[in-house]
Amino acid sequence: MSESSKQPPLNEKLVEVMVQTILRKNGVKPDEVKNNIPEEQKKMIREMVEDLKKQVADFQQNQAKDKSD
Amino acid sequence: MSKVKEWRALDHCDDKRNRSQAIVEQDANQKNITKQQSEEWIIIKDSEYVEVETTDTQAAASLQIGIEAALAVVLRLAIADGGKVEDILQDFNQITRTRQSNRQKTIVEKSKDVNITTIDTDIAINLQLLIQLLIAVIVSLEIL
Repeated sequence: MSESSKQPPLNEKLVEVMVQTILRKNGVKPDEVKNNIPEEQKKMIREMVEDLKKQVADFQQNQAKDKSD
Repeated sequence: MSKVKEWRALDHCDDKRNRSQAIVEQDANQKNITKQQSEEWIIIKDSEYVEVETTDTQAAASLQIGIEAALAVVLRLAIADGGKVEDILQDFNQITRTRQSNRQKTIVEKSKDVNITTIDTDIAINLQLLIQLLIAVIVSLEIL
């Protein structure tokens, strides 16, 4: 089942709405807090997230490979 | 009624390998199974030539911890109020935790030449949900 990596992710919009709802519920306004993080830290976070994303994709690919074996 | 003798793997020894090697392999198997005990049970009893292949729950679990830690770090950087961060993380947990009730039990008894492959789809889905959550957070906070 090698095409599992191409599977549509769980509804992206839904997750986005959930996150926004949770932030709002806890009184966090993205516009106010987005400037709290300096640019170099944002860069670090982006790299970290990219790396985690890749690890998840690799894990899922391995699972799919095991399944088709 | 005469009792028909049940077939038992240890009654005979038509071992295709030499015996000492078999004992070593058994030990290795047992260690492997203990490691994954919390998520999955595989019980092999009175059997021989059993091959086991399972999802690498250890790898998935450590990846999950990594994503959760990243989520916490991002929120703590953005939001000064620690109490608020804890509340948000708690809310996120409620979304992700519900999918983690997968428990598998596999029992092999009095069998020979068996291959077992188990797959934990729940943990893969949960990982995907967590990473999407993290991405949605950094999009919302305009980091991405």
